[in-house]
Amino acid sequence: MRRLAYGLIGVVVLAAAGFMIFRALSDSLVYFVLPNEYARDPGEYADRRLRLGGIVEEGSVAFDSDRLQLTFLVTDSIESFEVQHRGSPPDLFKENGGVVVEGRFKGGIFVSDNVLVKHSEVYQAPEPGEPIDVEALKNSLQ
Amino acid sequence: MLDISLGQLGSGSTLLALAAALYGAVAGVVGALRRDARLQTSARLAAVATFLGATAAIVLMELALLSDDFSVSYVASQSRIDSPLWVKIVTLWAALEGSVLLWAWLLTLYGALLAVAAPLNVLRPWALAVMQLVQVFFLGVVATAANPFTVLPLPPADGPGPNPLLQNHWMMAVHPLLLYLGFVGLTVPFAYAMAALITRRPGSEWMTQTRRWTLTGWGFLSAGIVAGGWWSYEVLGWGGYWAWDPVENVSFLPWLTATAFIHSVQVQERRRMLKAWNILLITLTFALSILGTFLIRSGIVSSVHAFGDGPVGPIFLAFFIVVMLASFGLIALRWDQIRDRAELDAVVSREGSILVGNVLFLAMAFAILLGTLFPLIVEAISGEKVTVGAPFFDQVSRPLWLLILLLMGIGPLLPWRRADSQRLSSNLAWLLGGGIAAGLLALLAGLRGLYPLLTVALAGYNLVSLGLLLLGVVLPRARISKRSVVAVFRSYAFENRRRFGSMVVHFGVTVIAVAVMASSAYRVDEQLRLEFGAEVPFQGYELRAVDRFMEESPQGVSAGVEIVVERAGRTLTELRPRLNLFGQNPQLIPTPAVLYRPQHDLYLSIAGRLDPEAEFVVIRAVQSPLITWIWVGGLIVILGTSYALSPGGRQLRERQRQGAVRA
Repeated sequence: MRRLAYGLIGVVVLAAAGFMIFRALSDSLVYFVLPNEYARDPGEYADRRLRLGGIVEEGSVAFDSDRLQLTFLVTDSIESFEVQHRGSPPDLFKENGGVVVEGRFKGGIFVSDNVLVKHSEVYQAPEPGEPIDVEALKNSLQ
Repeated sequence: MLDISLGQLGSGSTLLALAAALYGAVAGVVGALRRDARLQTSARLAAVATFLGATAAIVLMELALLSDDFSVSYVASQSRIDSPLWVKIVTLWAALEGSVLLWAWLLTLYGALLAVAAPLNVLRPWALAVMQLVQVFFLGVVATAANPFTVLPLPPADGPGPNPLLQNHWMMAVHPLLLYLGFVGLTVPFAYAMAALITRRPGSEWMTQTRRWTLTGWGFLSAGIVAGGWWSYEVLGWGGYWAWDPVENVSFLPWLTATAFIHSVQVQERRRMLKAWNILLITLTFALSILGTFLIRSGIVSSVHAFGDGPVGPIFLAFFIVVMLASFGLIALRWDQIRDRAELDAVVSREGSILVGNVLFLAMAFAILLGTLFPLIVEAISGEKVTVGAPFFDQVSRPLWLLILLLMGIGPLLPWRRADSQRLSSNLAWLLGGGIAAGLLALLAGLRGLYPLLTVALAGYNLVSLGLLLLGVVLPRARISKRSVVAVFRSYAFENRRRFGSMVVHFGVTVIAVAVMASSAYRVDEQLRLEFGAEVPFQGYELRAVDRFMEESPQGVSAGVEIVVERAGRTLTELRPRLNLFGQNPQLIPTPAVLYRPQHDLYLSIAGRLDPEAEFVVIRAVQSPLITWIWVGGLIVILGTSYALSPGGRQLRERQRQGAVRA
């Protein structure tokens, strides 16, 4: 009898713990997407924290040093989105360079709280005008 | 002239050590099976020989590093002529090959100690053989897949130097070493557990014999984790110390199972219960340290600490699988002897609280492992690339830690077997009183939110618990012996080192819990634009950027800003956050400057670049309340562990008695 009772308590506790873990996990998954993947189905990523990867579009970087507001376009040559980030551009941040930003979409603009510069040796940025190998880009940013 | 390079000598020493370990393992097993004392002795000698060979390899690697011998592959890929002496010395464990070599050497050191100093009994030959098998694996990796001694036919004139993040702080010299000492130390109880299974002696013999090894290993592992946190804080520039990065998580997993283990061994010592459970825990601890190495080194989990990858990952995975299969196979084979026959008398007892605590530690380990591996699972199933954010780990570990704090207070006050309900309720009243009082004080002090209030309440509850524990032993003794309370306390603390040490450790854990809560829940993190000469307010401080500075050393270039920190019109200090460049490496390493204060730290780090033309500089300013107390708490934990390990009191007298008997 006692063993059964302990066993039952154990099962209930485990089930509750499993449920909590699963819920916490699915709530805090951060998807890594390229602009075109997000554009295909914005609804799927609504209200979620995302990691958005791509290339910093040439000529798009603006830094307002009074308000410490950094704005730029992140692109995968198919789609591009505006990124707003409060803070200084990080070291090695440059146009045509790989970047991963973390944050959320708010009204079509990606509000980022973390900008990670990716300088991968694997991925070669194409010449201007050339299409980007999206698959290779994604792998190089991961 | 003898024309042998350091690389060849190093490879040769490694191979000799490997051969000795292999011989020792075989001779040990055969010797133990045949009960052949001579073979057993030769296995012990082999353990010493392995240690000597591995020591030679370490010395040769250090010689190569210090003499800038770039014909040795590891030196060529990790060292640099202009690095200062201490960096060259610790470059040994700055990258994979050297780390594995160091790990292997520590294993051989512990193996030799075991062979020379461990008491002779049925377990020792088998335990030594298991240690030697583990050595064979590590030395085998050093000799093959991760050979640091490969001779380069065309040595470069200079190397790139170690990872700049590692050269940036002296802490890096200590942190990995402590972790490896922890992992290796916990290999000893694992080896004895296996020996106990093989020899069909699953009593508590194996754990009483390895008690000191276990506690030492646990202490080093704890110290290594705290040191790693401090290193992150001082180096990584975001003002935190723990990011739930995979590399951090995998060092934490074996700590969790080891912590469960050092608690549950007491149940077996006292009540002859949990035999299988204890063997399982120490097996998991060892296996998780191997799995962790695989996860970090294989590059399959992305991490900010990308320490390179290579063929070593899969080899560790294979070893992990072999270890799991062998030890679980052995457990299954001996199941009849290790399953518990006694039953728990009552959940409300010391053993009950330890068991529940064990479940909590394991649940946390499981959740953290799941969170660390989950991106792999998702990618395998759906192809989507995901990461599991820090909120997940916070969400699952916080309630578990609170429950652990709850048990930590009540558990040591409960008697073994069954609690007497009258004493229990009086103790509980005190504990709850302390908890509620601390919670109310926190509320009055302005703390809000469930997690901060509960943490403070549980800290108060734990302080009361420690008080009750001490008074409960000191007061009656003082009454009976008519000695002063202080004198009784001193002799109690001196005589019962293990018990008193554990109280100190629990006190340290309480301190850490409050510090972790305060520094994360009340952290202020802002980017500030400091114009040179102008005062900028931040959390009651006035920050004034005075000037830029630039320092050059053979090691590299360091550029930064002098910032005067004032509070209430008084100049407190001048902080010099900087950006460091090491050698030819283009990566700028932001190096924060910290004003350590007991109530909170002020942490300044340069954000982005340092523009020599601009009339301003952008600073990341972080204020973390009580964060220093994490390191202080860590120190208390280490002191408590050392005190518990120190010979004295009972042990000393026992030894004297034994001496007297022998005489």
